[in-house]
Amino acid sequence: MVIDLDKCTGCGSCMVACQAENNVAPAEDGTNRIKTLNWMTVYQLSNGKTFPEHDTAYLPRPCMQCGKPSCVSVCPVVATAKDENGGIVSQITPRCIGCRYCMASCPYHARYFNWHDPVWPAGMEKTLTPDVSVRPRGVVEKCTFCHHRWQAAKDAAYAQNRDPMKLPEDAYQTACTKACPNGAITFGDVKNPAHKVHQLVKSPNAFRLLERLGTEPQVWYMSRREWVRRLGDNYLNNEITKG
Amino acid sequence: MFDRRDFLKFIGGGAVGTLATPVIWQGLDDVSIWTQNWPWIPRIDKGNNKNVYVRTTSKLCPSAAGLRVRLVNGRPVRALGDVDHPLSRGGLSALAAAEVQLLYSPARLRRPLKRSDDGTYVAISWDEAQSILTEKLAAAKAQKSLFCLSGDENGTMNEVLSALTARAGSNDFYMMPSDAQSTAAAWRAMGGTGRVGYDFANSDYVLAVGAGVLENWGPVVANRRAWGQARPADGKLAMRVAYAGPMQNNTAAGADLWLPVRPGADTAFLLGLVHELAASGSVPEGFAPLKDLAAKWDAEHAAAVAGIAPASIVRVAKELREAKAPLVIVGSETGQGCPAAPVILGIALNIMLGRLNRDGGMRALPVAAPALEQAMSYDRMMQQDFMAAAAAMAAGKRAAPALFLAYEANPVYAMPAPGVDKLIEDAGFSVSFSCFLDETARRCDLVLPAAMGLERFDDVVTPYGVGEAVYALSVPVARPLFEARAAGDVLLTCAANAEMKLGFSSYLNVLRAKVRRIGGVEWETLLKGECAVTRRVEPVLELALPMQILKEAAQAVPDKPAKGALAVATVTKRAFGTPDSGLPPFATKLVGKDIAGSALTARMNRATAEKAGLREGQMIRLSAGKASIPAKVVLFEGVAQDSVALAAGFGHTDFDSFNDGKGANVMRLFSVVEEPGTGLAVWSCPDVTVAKA
Amino acid sequence: MEDKHNATRDKVSCDRKACPVRGVMPFLLGVAVALVFGWWLFPALLYSEQEQPVNFNHKTHVANAGLDCSHCHYLRADGTFSAFPSTEECAVCHRVLIGDSKAERVFWNDYVRTGKQVKWLVYQKQPDNVFFSHAPHSQQNCNNCHTFSTKELCGFCHPSMANGTPEYKLNRLSGYTKDTMKMWRCERCHANPNHLAGTSANNACFVCHK
Repeated sequence: MVIDLDKCTGCGSCMVACQAENNVAPAEDGTNRIKTLNWMTVYQLSNGKTFPEHDTAYLPRPCMQCGKPSCVSVCPVVATAKDENGGIVSQITPRCIGCRYCMASCPYHARYFNWHDPVWPAGMEKTLTPDVSVRPRGVVEKCTFCHHRWQAAKDAAYAQNRDPMKLPEDAYQTACTKACPNGAITFGDVKNPAHKVHQLVKSPNAFRLLERLGTEPQVWYMSRREWVRRLGDNYLNNEITKG
Repeated sequence: MFDRRDFLKFIGGGAVGTLATPVIWQGLDDVSIWTQNWPWIPRIDKGNNKNVYVRTTSKLCPSAAGLRVRLVNGRPVRALGDVDHPLSRGGLSALAAAEVQLLYSPARLRRPLKRSDDGTYVAISWDEAQSILTEKLAAAKAQKSLFCLSGDENGTMNEVLSALTARAGSNDFYMMPSDAQSTAAAWRAMGGTGRVGYDFANSDYVLAVGAGVLENWGPVVANRRAWGQARPADGKLAMRVAYAGPMQNNTAAGADLWLPVRPGADTAFLLGLVHELAASGSVPEGFAPLKDLAAKWDAEHAAAVAGIAPASIVRVAKELREAKAPLVIVGSETGQGCPAAPVILGIALNIMLGRLNRDGGMRALPVAAPALEQAMSYDRMMQQDFMAAAAAMAAGKRAAPALFLAYEANPVYAMPAPGVDKLIEDAGFSVSFSCFLDETARRCDLVLPAAMGLERFDDVVTPYGVGEAVYALSVPVARPLFEARAAGDVLLTCAANAEMKLGFSSYLNVLRAKVRRIGGVEWETLLKGECAVTRRVEPVLELALPMQILKEAAQAVPDKPAKGALAVATVTKRAFGTPDSGLPPFATKLVGKDIAGSALTARMNRATAEKAGLREGQMIRLSAGKASIPAKVVLFEGVAQDSVALAAGFGHTDFDSFNDGKGANVMRLFSVVEEPGTGLAVWSCPDVTVAKA
Repeated sequence: MEDKHNATRDKVSCDRKACPVRGVMPFLLGVAVALVFGWWLFPALLYSEQEQPVNFNHKTHVANAGLDCSHCHYLRADGTFSAFPSTEECAVCHRVLIGDSKAERVFWNDYVRTGKQVKWLVYQKQPDNVFFSHAPHSQQNCNNCHTFSTKELCGFCHPSMANGTPEYKLNRLSGYTKDTMKMWRCERCHANPNHLAGTSANNACFVCHK
C-alpha cells in the first residue's frame, strides 16, 4: 500500500469505510483511545512551527503488514502469522488468548484489544457483512488489508476460468483505498511490475514509518514535503531526511 | 462378593475404557467450542451468499455522492463508491460511508407521535396521523396560512412542498439557508441568468474563500476525485488549490496555500485581489467602478485588514493570472450561507479572469422546469428568506402560521435564533417530517417518521456547486424500517384528502413527470443508476455590478476583535453529519480533535491564548450576547490570530447515546445579521467574549 | 476372630487368589461399561436428532425428476456458491403443487405462499470465522492433478444424499453437527507438502479464516 500524504485531507472516510467493511461495532465515545477499535487510524501531523508558518498533514495508518513482523515473533499461541503468499499478517481471533503481547510489540500501535463485547444498537447487526467474523471480547484484532476481498476476487477468477494468481490490479482493492475520494491510497502487489505501487515505492519521496527498526513494513508513504518525511522516523538533528 | 477392591478395579477399568472412547477427547473439544459460543455475539446471516449491488445517489450527504449499496440476503450491509457516477466517480464521503448503518440509528423515529397536552409524546397510528394532518391542511388552506420549511437541498420534494404551500394560498415555502441561496442572491443582484455552477474538475487553479472545497462544499466527493487525479503521487501537479479561511482545516491541509484570512474579512481579501488583477491588466467592460472601489485596497491595506501577509495577495493574484483555467469559489465555512457581497466579488474575479461560461470556470447552468404546476421556480425558492420570515413573525410584524411543516429540517438546532423557537411555538399546529427524533421534532405537535434516503424513491437535481446540470434518481434499497413512510406519498395523499390536489397520486409519478421535463433520458436508464448530464450553459447577456452593495460591504468589514474578545472560525466536517442526521454512530471515532471528553475544543494559537490569558486544557465559556457555550482550550497553531476555531455539529440534546453529551452547539452563538445593500438575512457569528470557567 | 475369617474364606469357591478371571473381572466389567457408555450412551445423549423444516427428498428430485446437482447448488459467476436454493428458485417448479406428498404441501403453504425462506439445517455448518469457498474446490480445479468423480469430491465433506436426506445430528454441547469438519481434515490437503507445490491453496491462516 502506498499512501500519498500530500493528498490526505483527514476526512476520515477510510476510517468509516474500514469499520463498516470489517464489522467493527460503533463506539459511543469515539475519543476513548483505549476502547475504540480503529484498524485504520488517521493521525494529524504538524510541522511544529507557530502561526502563520504552521503546516499540517494527515497520516492514515493501517496495519503495516510488516515483512518482519514483531507481533508474530511474540505471539505465544501463533494466533498471528505471516502468510506464505500475499504477505498479509494474519490475525486469527479464535486462537488469540488475549495476552496482548503483540500489542506491546507492535511499534505502530496498529493492534486493538476488545476490552468489551461489541454492542450494536438494536437492528444494526443486520448490516454485518458475512466476510469478516464478529470478534468477542478478550481478543486482539487488526487491519487485514481486507484479505476477504482478495478471497472474493480469487473465487471470481476460479468461477470464470481465470488464473487466480494473476488478478488485474482493480480486482482486489481494500475498502479504505476505494473509499478515499482523493485517491490518496494506492493498493496493489509491490512485486508485480504492472501494478502502480511497484513504481511508486521507487520514488525518492517514498518512505516507510520507523524503517530503522527493521520491521520491513509493507505500507509506504509519500510526500513532497520534507518535514512530513522527516516525521517518518526518529531522525537525529544532524541526519539528512530520506528522499 | 463385590467388595471395595472390586469396586476400585471397576473404576479403574472404567477409566481405562473411557480413554478408548470419545467421551474425554470429543467432550473436551466440544466443551471448548461451547465456551466460545457466546449467544450475545451476533451470528452473521449470509443466506445463500447472494450479493446484489444497487446503484443509487445519496440523499443524506449534501455532496449527493453516488453509491453502490451492497445487499446480502436482501439486507443492505455496505455503502460503496460508484466509479461511474458523475457525482462521485468512486469515492465516498465519510457521511455516505456510514449511511447504511445509520438506517438503524437508535435515534430513528419509529412511529407517528402526537404531543399530548402535558407535553409528552404518544404513539399513534398512521391513520390517525394522516387524518390529523389532513384536517390541519384543510384549516391552513381556509386561513391561507401554511408555512413549509424544507431541509432537502436539491430534490423534487421541494416542488411538492412549494406547490402544496401555493395550493393553500400561501407564499411561505422556505428552504434551510445555504450557500446556494447566497450564491443565487449574488447572481441575481448582478442580473445573471440560470444558476451558478463551478466546473472544479476542469480547473487547474482553484481559489476557495471560506468554502471548504476539499471537505464539505458542494459536490465535494466528485471534486476531490478530480483534484486527486490531477495530482498523481509521482507526477506533475495539474491542479492547485489555495484556501482562504481562518482555520487550517481539512481543505487547507490539502491546499497548496493557506491564507489565514480572519473571520468576516473575506471582502477585504477579495477586494485586494481585485485591486491586484485590475492593476496588472485591463478590466472587462463595465468594471471601471469596481476598479475604482478597489483602488484603496492595495495589497498592503487589504492584507492588513484581512490579517495576512501582503505577499500572499500578490502571490495569489499572480497565480490566478498565470493559471490556464483559474476558478474562484466563495462560500461559508458552515455551508449555511454567507453575505452576498463576497460572492459577487468572487464572481467578478471569475469574469475578470475571463472564466465565465468556460470549461474549468464559472458556468451559468440551465434550470429544468418544475414538474408540478404550482411549484415555485428555482429562482423564487432561492429568494425565499426563512430567517427574515421567522424574525418578522417573532417581532409580531407578521401573524404566526396556522400550520408549520418542517421536512427533514432541524432549524431548532441549526439556527437556534429566538425567532425560530417562537415561530414553531406560536404556530397554530406544527408538524415535523423527520427521520430522527431531533430537536425540532421535539417542539412539534405531530411528529411523522420519514423514510430515509435509502428507503425511498427520490431525486437529485443539479446539487449546488456542480459544474454542469445533473439529474440522478435515488432508489430504495430496503423497505422503510419500523413505520417510517416516504413523506412525498403521505403529503400527496393528505393534500388530496384536504381538497388540495396537486395532480399526482404518488411521489413516484411526480418523479416520472420530472424526468419527462428534463427530457433526453429514459426513466429506466435512470433507475439503473445512470445520470442525466448536460454541459449546456445559459448565455449570459446582461451583467451589471451592483456597486451599491459592494460599496456598503467594503465599508462594513468588521474590525479586529476587541480586547478580550475572539473571532469565531467554524469547522465543518462532512463526517459529523447534517443538522438533521446528527453524528452517525460510525463516525464517532473521528471527533478526536473537536471534542475533548465531553467538552467542545476551542482551538487557538499560542499567541492568541497568551494574549487572552488562557492555557491549554483550561475550561472557558464563550459568550455572544445572551448565549454562551462551554469549551476547552486546545492550542493549535493553524488558527488565525485572535480567533478561536469551534467545530459545528455537536451539542445535540436528546438525540441518541452517540450524540448526547458531546460538546456544545456552536450555532447558539450565531445570530441573524442583515446584509447592508441586499437585505439578505445572514446567519453569522459575532465576536465572542471569553470567561474562564 | 482370625479363625472366623479364615473359615468364611474357605467357604467361597471362586476367590481372587484361586481364579484369575474373578480377579480381573471387575476391571473388565468397568472397561466394558465404559465402552458402552462412551460409544453408545454418550453419543445418544450428546447428539439430538433434528428434523429439517421441510422434509426434502433428494432422491425424488435427482433420480425421479432428473435434476442434477448444479441445478440447485451452483457456482455463480462472481464466485459465490448458491448454497441452498431460495424459495423463489424452488417456486420455479413448485409454484403450484406438482406432487401429492405432505412435505410439498407443507413447503407450499408455509414458504411459497408467504415468500419466507426455509431455515435449512446445515450439515456442514462452520463457525463465522471460517472461510470456505466452493469455487477453488471444483472438479475442474482439483482434477488438474487428481481424478475425482463428483461423488468423491463432494463426498469428502458432505454426507451422501443418494439415499434420501441423512439424519441431522446436532451436537448439544458445541452446537455444530456430527458432520462438521474440523480443521485437521481441511489440513489433510492444505498442509500436504505435495499439494502446496502445485496449487495456490497453502496452509496460511488467512486462506481459511476471517
